[in-house]
Amino acid sequence: MSTERTVRFSLNGRAVKAHVASHESLVQVLRDRFDLFGSRESCGQGLCGCCTVIVDGKPVSGCLYLASFLDGTSVQTIEGLAPADDRLDPVQEAFIEAGAFQCGFCTPGFILMTKHLLAENRAPSDDDIRHYLTGNLCRCSAYPEIVAAVKLAATKQRGG
Amino acid sequence: MASQTLTTPAMPAGQVGRSIPRLEAAAKVTGRAEYVHNMSLPGMLHGKIFRSVIPHGKIKHLDLDAARAVEGVFLVAAIDDIRKVIAHPYYGPAFHDQPILADGKVRYAGEPVAVVLADEAHIAEEAAGLISAEYEELPGVYDEVEAHGAQVFVHDELKPAATFPDLAHLLGRRDTNVALDFQLRRGDADAAFAAAEHVFEHHFRTQPTMHTPLEPFVSIADASGGSLTLHTASQNPSFVRIEIARLLGWPENRVRVKVPYLGGGFGGKLYIKLEALVTALSLIARRPVKISLTMQEQFFMVMRHAATIRIKSGVDKSGRITARSCEVWWNGGAYADIGPRVTQKAGFTAAGPYDIDNVELNSYAVYTNRTPAGALRGFGAPQTCWAYETHTDMIAAKLGIDQLAFRRMNLLHDGRPQATGTILRDAAIDKVLDRVAERMNWGTPLERGTGRIRRGRGIAIGFKGITAPTTSVAMINLYADGSCGLYIGTVDMGQGSDTCMAQIAAEVLNLDAESIKVIHPDTDVTPYDMGTLGSRSTFHMGTAVRLAALDANQKIAALAEELGVPPNSNLPFSELLRRKYRMQAGNIIGIGSFIPGYDKPDQETGQSANVTPFWGVGGSGAEVEIDIETGEFKVTKLVNVADVGAAINPKLLAAQLSGAAIMQLGFTTSENMLYRDGQLTNGSFADYKIPCLLDMPAVFINEFVESRQHDGPFGAKGAGESTTIAVSPAIGNAIADAIGVRLMDLPLTAEAIHGAILAAGIGGDDEH
Amino acid sequence: MRPFDLVEPATLEEAFHLLEGDDPAVRPIGGGTALMLMMKEQVFRPVRLVSLRHLAPQFGAISIDADHRMIRFGATTSFSELEHSAVVARHLPVVVRTMRTLANVRVRNVATLGGNLAHADPHLDLPPVWIALGAQIVIENPAGPRIVPAEDIFEGYYETNLRHDDIIREIRVPLNASQRASYVKITTRSAHDWPALGIAVRLEMKDGLAHHPRIVLSAATNKPTRLVRTEALAHGQPITPASLRELGEAAVSEADIASDSRGSADYKKHLLRVHLGRALHALALEE
Repeated sequence: MSTERTVRFSLNGRAVKAHVASHESLVQVLRDRFDLFGSRESCGQGLCGCCTVIVDGKPVSGCLYLASFLDGTSVQTIEGLAPADDRLDPVQEAFIEAGAFQCGFCTPGFILMTKHLLAENRAPSDDDIRHYLTGNLCRCSAYPEIVAAVKLAATKQRGG
Repeated sequence: MASQTLTTPAMPAGQVGRSIPRLEAAAKVTGRAEYVHNMSLPGMLHGKIFRSVIPHGKIKHLDLDAARAVEGVFLVAAIDDIRKVIAHPYYGPAFHDQPILADGKVRYAGEPVAVVLADEAHIAEEAAGLISAEYEELPGVYDEVEAHGAQVFVHDELKPAATFPDLAHLLGRRDTNVALDFQLRRGDADAAFAAAEHVFEHHFRTQPTMHTPLEPFVSIADASGGSLTLHTASQNPSFVRIEIARLLGWPENRVRVKVPYLGGGFGGKLYIKLEALVTALSLIARRPVKISLTMQEQFFMVMRHAATIRIKSGVDKSGRITARSCEVWWNGGAYADIGPRVTQKAGFTAAGPYDIDNVELNSYAVYTNRTPAGALRGFGAPQTCWAYETHTDMIAAKLGIDQLAFRRMNLLHDGRPQATGTILRDAAIDKVLDRVAERMNWGTPLERGTGRIRRGRGIAIGFKGITAPTTSVAMINLYADGSCGLYIGTVDMGQGSDTCMAQIAAEVLNLDAESIKVIHPDTDVTPYDMGTLGSRSTFHMGTAVRLAALDANQKIAALAEELGVPPNSNLPFSELLRRKYRMQAGNIIGIGSFIPGYDKPDQETGQSANVTPFWGVGGSGAEVEIDIETGEFKVTKLVNVADVGAAINPKLLAAQLSGAAIMQLGFTTSENMLYRDGQLTNGSFADYKIPCLLDMPAVFINEFVESRQHDGPFGAKGAGESTTIAVSPAIGNAIADAIGVRLMDLPLTAEAIHGAILAAGIGGDDEH
Repeated sequence: MRPFDLVEPATLEEAFHLLEGDDPAVRPIGGGTALMLMMKEQVFRPVRLVSLRHLAPQFGAISIDADHRMIRFGATTSFSELEHSAVVARHLPVVVRTMRTLANVRVRNVATLGGNLAHADPHLDLPPVWIALGAQIVIENPAGPRIVPAEDIFEGYYETNLRHDDIIREIRVPLNASQRASYVKITTRSAHDWPALGIAVRLEMKDGLAHHPRIVLSAATNKPTRLVRTEALAHGQPITPASLRELGEAAVSEADIASDSRGSADYKKHLLRVHLGRALHALALEE
């Protein structure tokens, strides 16, 4: 039986290991083993995006991802995005400048998704943005500001 | 998309009127902002709730043994266990009607019956799944109008809380589901109807909806050494402390309630939710206890009232409304929560923002066997506005008068009495309506189309009173190095209160708002505040903060005088403290408290000289495109305008107005808690659809106008709910404009539109 | 969720061994997005999950036959691999277009083609597209592999006729340069939602007439369903307002549609009538 296992992976650039039970999800392990709270379970169905985590360069729903599958992967969370404590990523800066959040609960998910969107598409249109991010929900409904933030971030990342 | 300010804020140069980013912005974009969701305490147990699967019945037998036998289970508790630590385990803000766990009877499907505590959440969940209950099922009542006269009673007798003197007459009343019957009588409606040239009567319905904050309900209780600390996602920590202290029979100072940021609230996280349950469990277990609901469980906690509204108007030859009568039934669910207050406050304004001499209103809070209903961003105003603004539009259409002109003809203006008799003041109803019309280009004809796609546009305007009388107290602590802490009980759940309050304090103290630290609600530290609800914080707490800052300034002046410093010296207070205490020491503490005036409405007539501290005003305009073959439709343009008094932080305010309007867009077109035989059938995000990015109207405009509230802080008033009020009728009116038929019930769906098109026999439905 | 045995065999034989027996609580797992939902709801309580992800080298590729007559998709291919495949974009653009509104980016990054088929939720977007394209499913079994048409594996609501020890290996889609195909996802609540109806259509147009149409309805029915009588009626027909009306009525009378929270049966039938006609019309006009 293998109801538990040790997984070794890279977490925000640091090699780590964790002993996980088979039923545990990625978001639970980040919270319970590593005190990382930025990806958080909300709808529990992969529909809201609050639990977004980047695994091997791709965003996934941390609440639907078995932690046992982490072995050998590279994991990035919102806590690992800013280059330094006093310096933010351009996407984070853009979200602040555009006022693209209210309660902040969904914000890490939107930011990580935006980071990945801009990696795929340097200059997304409004329609691209709406489609790409429509699987992330913001109950405060900062949607107009979020679209503005993504465009601002695109400009910043292009060095504009 | 656009979001603009109509007028440049007429603010003194300085902190108020600046669009600074929210103070906690960096914490939120790095995922480090603190929520109860994140918290754990040493030795903490996790609770999982076992819920009723039937809507109404007596509990014959509850089998907890299998759950108790699960390895890792610490405790399984039902109401008898709760009674060992709380003798009378019933709570509620208006009625003490809600048991901490079901007490012999269940009154809605989803009601908590028992709880499992375990070291690990998944063990508690597993064990809760092993609990079984046997019920003697009772007939249920689900519809608010049926429940009004039904012979099935949700409660045997009414138990009003002592805190609301106007409910005292209901004490001990039996054999009724009506928890409150509010009535208002102004003029002589019967005579006015008899004399009217035209009389119109319509019936409307609104559906039950849920707040769905993305941080689901969560509370932690830590009872030890004869005191209790609650960490809870609550919008009103002061109320929680008072109510928990009452339940325990303890003085307030043994109960400490702490609230960090909230991941959304919207009126859901008010009064007692999980707090009484975790308190009891922590006292029994003698360990900290956390209960975190799932998104699915939230639908069993609280919802927005569904309502049935009958509205009737008399109109004279010139098109003036001379009489209006409204009857509103509010579906309160199984426990009253704050429903009676919704019933009363929404009753004040149920006739709409019109100047009508003869008004008759009846508003009933009705118990049913559904999830309890409470406050949700508007306190009933969006429901009543759906009725009166659809009704108003229908009258204008029938009389052949332009919708805007008809509203202008009847609009309520400053200086005139509102239905309660209170004289309207500082309410920019006319300006808001003008601005909506302007942004809708109302004077320019709309190309409505003749083929498969039809277009239409509509406007609507509404208003609301504010819960009164309520108190806020603020404290400012100036530290000896010149920095400043602001101690307030207002909960920042995303609306930006930390930032706005810091701006108000900074304006008075002549500091940078960004340099002020806002100390989050902690009832051991922060002074009393009634709650973060009902658009009250900017006005009430904002005033208290301003007064606290003025008090601090007076104390600085007194200190300067004591030290012999000339009044115009401009020495910073840190230097004064250094001179007084001869080192970096001491504090200057400013206190401000505020309770606005209020005149309790007459029990028989609802008349009051001062029924609300201020008026919230919101107007909306919508354009829609409808595919008349299928009823599928798009809101192509949405304009929302609110009267905000004055903007403390225009950018945060614009975002709040925009967010409220989108939320109401969801309540208008997609969100609907569906019940079958008292069972909720769509309680998850897979089936209860809140708006997403693709639902955004292509043109989306949010604006505010400034009326300068005479007694508000720097002219400001609250605005968190204003743009929820008129969205639904604006869209409904646009649909009617496009296809010539009316929908009377929310939500407005493609299928309902298609049904209306079929019923009206409008052409173009295929070529049949 | 409670702990279970999670195993990750590296070979097919090992996988078969681990799936032995007839315990329904022992199942293969692909990306796991759908299974996780069922496990969290306690609808499915696994004893053992057999992960197929280490079979990826054999099961995870997208390839096109040298003669360009068939595309093969390994069962552990993720949706996003499909979405971003140049080969798929060139030869099966309908599949890439379907991806844009299928679930969301995160799910597409994890969910696999095989898991999607085995899940058999009638609201899924891709199964009707596979069926319309005439896809064949290659299924491995200890008793030997078999190849079945995609429509044949669906039995009902979340039900397939896959055996307990079956493992989906590959999806094969025949290519036909003259075919046109579309998938229409009709949502009735939010713009981003499970469909109330999914309509997948493929056909060829010759001399203004529809040839060899395949018409598949999903979401409104308890499994993705070919409307074979409507297909037969459409074959050799011109696409005109009159024929579209007739086909719409045929589809409505053929499909077994039930009411749910996305709409009444009558309304969904009406949507089928209208949107099938529009889909056929658009395909007929396509260059």
